[in-house]
Amino acid sequence: MRHIWIIFRRELGQYFSSPIAYFVAFAVLLLTGFTFNDDLAMRNGRAPVDPALPLIYLAQFSVFFVPLLTMRLLAEENREGTLELLMTLPLQDYQIVLGKFFGAWAYYTVLISLTIVHQALMLWLNPADLGIAFSAYLGLWLFGGASIAVGMFFSALNENQIVAAFLGMAALLILWQADLVGNVLNNRPLAEFIRSLSFQSNYSYSFAIGIVRFDHTVFFLGVMGTLLLATTQVVQSRRWR
Amino acid sequence: MITVESLTKRYGRFMALRGISFQAESGEILGFLGPNGAGKTTTMRILTGYMPPTSGRASVAGYDVFTDSLEVRKRVGYLPETVPLYPDMTVHGYVKYVAELRGVPHAASRADDVLRIVGMHTRRDSLIRNISKGMRQRVGLAQALVHDPQVLILDEPTIGLDPRQTLEVRDLVRSLGRTHTIMFSTHILSEAEQVCDRVAIIHRGELVAIDKPETLRDQLQKGARLFVRVGKAESAETVRKTLQNVTGVASVTVLNDGFSVEARRGVDVRPRLASVIISAGWELLELRPLAMSLEDIFLELTVREGADERL
Repeated sequence: MRHIWIIFRRELGQYFSSPIAYFVAFAVLLLTGFTFNDDLAMRNGRAPVDPALPLIYLAQFSVFFVPLLTMRLLAEENREGTLELLMTLPLQDYQIVLGKFFGAWAYYTVLISLTIVHQALMLWLNPADLGIAFSAYLGLWLFGGASIAVGMFFSALNENQIVAAFLGMAALLILWQADLVGNVLNNRPLAEFIRSLSFQSNYSYSFAIGIVRFDHTVFFLGVMGTLLLATTQVVQSRRWR
Repeated sequence: MITVESLTKRYGRFMALRGISFQAESGEILGFLGPNGAGKTTTMRILTGYMPPTSGRASVAGYDVFTDSLEVRKRVGYLPETVPLYPDMTVHGYVKYVAELRGVPHAASRADDVLRIVGMHTRRDSLIRNISKGMRQRVGLAQALVHDPQVLILDEPTIGLDPRQTLEVRDLVRSLGRTHTIMFSTHILSEAEQVCDRVAIIHRGELVAIDKPETLRDQLQKGARLFVRVGKAESAETVRKTLQNVTGVASVTVLNDGFSVEARRGVDVRPRLASVIISAGWELLELRPLAMSLEDIFLELTVREGADERL
């Protein structure tokens, strides 16, 4: 536990000392700001604003920005040779993986909490349904954790950060778009199964409309668990190669 | 302190180690010598628990590197060939980070202590990206020392340093050798000769020789080699012929500034050489033993190896 905490602390600190994290934060706020503003202008007092709307967009953007946050996690350590240091310290491999994962997740948490400014504006304009906001944030947080686990897995797979980011984006895009699998697949049970693995269908139709569903919560936690396990295996495989 | 028994390592179809065995005693500096690709780094990576061997056994401080990997890693300080640094951290922050991961009590002040030992304390707040290669090497060494390990494994700690830095690192290793068991790899032979108590020479994954540098030299030197400088002689050729005829002399080679005389094993030809030269009416300007350097030993051993392979 202590080891995970020490790695977590360094990893989180790393985000705040590197420019990319600020650029990502800037881009995320800009994008959600636009969509928020757009939505506000469109409704313009005719309909109540939807507190979850910026968050749905944010979830969609996560497909592209989360891999940028996770690409260095293991790829950089691998290339710089610092993984050799970590792996010869008295640490378990899973402690390295978990410390880094929680570091990235904590930064993501900071990032999505920046959008609370939109919620505050909404509350100031008219009383909104805070329950929806709460469940949308909870869902987005779990969504982010799962996306980070996916991105980190690809960062462990190779030592090139660009490749890691690209593969992560491709995987997350597929996981997001799998919601639409019914459009291309005739086999209904198979399509339903694939759809149940989609990040979008586990977020947009439950958390984002104010429903915290047990199975969808378990889904995101399960994705994290599975991919963290897989990542640990990839890191460990260096030992038997 | 370090025991290695018939260790092999195979990368795909390539045999990096072909069954090497050796031991290093407590408080000893063992030089690990070999050309690039001989298997030095592989051996060290196995000893530090980075990867397991294909077969064979190794133990450090009484713990098996494979089954008790964590116990071994607690007791070993390791400086890999590419110094594992985080460029965005400060020198002190980095050493403290490693100290914390190693569970060293009072990590921050201990980090200051080791930075003082390696002479990097004045740069403790510099970012690692801004310090020179030699300094990085020393920060890497500080990291390896931070938990005061029983065993230090240093993979080419002087590579890429300028001559002064090289000397500093060598001095540091020598002074640490009084209290630690050190395994030190290098492909610079004179370095091993200066720093190490014993030298293990490996070549193509096999242990070619292991002994004290002096003993290695004695073993391989067939007889004593002497350097002779003669003045007032008519021609080099006459001197060569004269010296050649002295009893006990195996061969004489003409050098630029004198002669290299190889004596047969166990014969001291010096008094006879001196009297022959004097009685010929020449001047004896210099007469001293020519020691065989590790360079020669190394070439001798590895060339012999290569010859076997060609057969």
